[in-house]
Amino acid sequence: MNNYLDLSIKEIHELLVAKKITPVDLVEECYTRIGENSDLNSFITLNKTEAIEYARKLAEEEVEVDNLLWGIPIAIKDNISTKNIRTTCASKMLENYVPIYDATVIEKVKAAKMIIIGKTNMDEFAMGSASRTSYFGAPKNPVDKTKITGGSSGGSASCVAGNLVPIALGSDTGGSIRQPASYTGIVGMKPTYGRVSRYGLIAYGSSLDQIGPMTRNVYENALLLNTLVGKDKKDLTSVEREKEDFTRLIGKNIDGMKIAIPEFFVSSIVSPIIIEKLNHVVEILKENGATVEYVDMKYLDQVVTIYQIITMGEASSNLARFDGVKFGYRAENSESVEDMYANTRYEGFGTEVKRRIMVGSYLLSGENAKIYYDKALMIRNALKQEFNKFFEKYDFVFGPTTTTVAYGLDENLDDPRKSFMDDTLVMPVNMAGLPGINIPMGKDSDNMPIGLHIIGAHFEEARMYQIASFLENKLK
Amino acid sequence: MDKLTKEEVLHVAHLARIKVTDDEIEKYQVDLKKLLDDVDKIKDIEVESSELLVTPVEHESILRNDQDTRSVDFNEIKKNVPATTGNFVEVPVMVNE
Repeated sequence: MNNYLDLSIKEIHELLVAKKITPVDLVEECYTRIGENSDLNSFITLNKTEAIEYARKLAEEEVEVDNLLWGIPIAIKDNISTKNIRTTCASKMLENYVPIYDATVIEKVKAAKMIIIGKTNMDEFAMGSASRTSYFGAPKNPVDKTKITGGSSGGSASCVAGNLVPIALGSDTGGSIRQPASYTGIVGMKPTYGRVSRYGLIAYGSSLDQIGPMTRNVYENALLLNTLVGKDKKDLTSVEREKEDFTRLIGKNIDGMKIAIPEFFVSSIVSPIIIEKLNHVVEILKENGATVEYVDMKYLDQVVTIYQIITMGEASSNLARFDGVKFGYRAENSESVEDMYANTRYEGFGTEVKRRIMVGSYLLSGENAKIYYDKALMIRNALKQEFNKFFEKYDFVFGPTTTTVAYGLDENLDDPRKSFMDDTLVMPVNMAGLPGINIPMGKDSDNMPIGLHIIGAHFEEARMYQIASFLENKLK
Repeated sequence: MDKLTKEEVLHVAHLARIKVTDDEIEKYQVDLKKLLDDVDKIKDIEVESSELLVTPVEHESILRNDQDTRSVDFNEIKKNVPATTGNFVEVPVMVNE
């Protein structure tokens, strides 16, 4: 084996341009590695025949010299619709569902001539923090296969961290890109809400969901984001922005940047080793001309409550479409339509999903909608204003991505609240629609990765990549 | 009270159109109660403004002409439909006599 996949995308691109390799070499290497690491359970569906066929077709064409992503293999989270490739959301409900259209991000990935290797494992309908609610079994952490990958984009994290595929797409409703990126030691960006079209992303919490890149380093993350963004007529929440190159500030220094660290992000809920690594980052920042201040930010300790209400409420509405009528699983032998709905949803959904839909239905029923959902939206607004206030004075808000490192696959299985608590440091970003990125900032004594979380103001992704890349180099 | 009543579980399950079997009820009584206790904490959170945030980033409202722009062939859709008769989606009886 030639191990081309160990090279950076830039290096691979140079080999492609020099005609020393073709996309077929890359695709074949991906499938060899996936085969050798099948115990990681990173994928639900492979797209092997079509991917090899497409790679052969590309091999006959001229390499696009200005397009670094040309011919590069990519893995796609299995809640993003792919035409003619099964899209399951890791649920029995969609076990045999084959979309008849592509999500907008898939159209963009295809336009960049990237090659779709397969659909990655995840928490069922993205509900969970360890990818253990998958109907297809949990993916494993390549750093230690007895540990969780985190979730819900666990399969995407697993295949990038294991270097099976160089680059992947995830989705993030309350930390589902950044938290698994932290647990597996890779880079994951949740862009500003509205940056990337959600058309074709199977919805969980529509006002929070955002698709983003999961990669081995900061530069490649920015590169992939370049291709994903843009206003889309099919998603009215997508935003029109002037075209920009997200890699353009990478390599510049961070002199004069102002960073705030909320006290809650370094409180006793966070493991001491993680605080230690964050303190080291603070030293690097100060040594290089940035200022760091610890601040008191309101509502952060209450974010789990508002997250639970908003996501469970939105999920109960979004998942009402899975009723056995037009697509997906249908329970047999029902006597009436009502029966068919209830039986289909009983048999088709897993425990976590059912629990969240039930609580969500209750929260939105009758007067409860005012008591819970409206109140949650008030606090959500107040939290966004709080962030706005800090972004008038500071460039970024920093903190750890997670409160602990990845835990054992068989730990914490019995607490329905655990999956929410795991994301307590990353949820505020989705609430305020802000961009957030995880980069690795060290390891604990068992070699488990620890992640740094950088939060920027709306549409500040390019400057986030600047400081993230600077720190990535210093932390090497 | 540290769990819901059986009737409460069945009510919530009905709202969600999800069947619950007898042997599951007890677990739901405990698990749903934990989550409902969590969300109940919202009542104690003080907030100054009563303004709601519906979507986190401002959008322009866009209107489009009232005309068909796209239609999908039923034969395509049909591939994912659990049961069909001709060009119709088949479901169990909806109206009781």
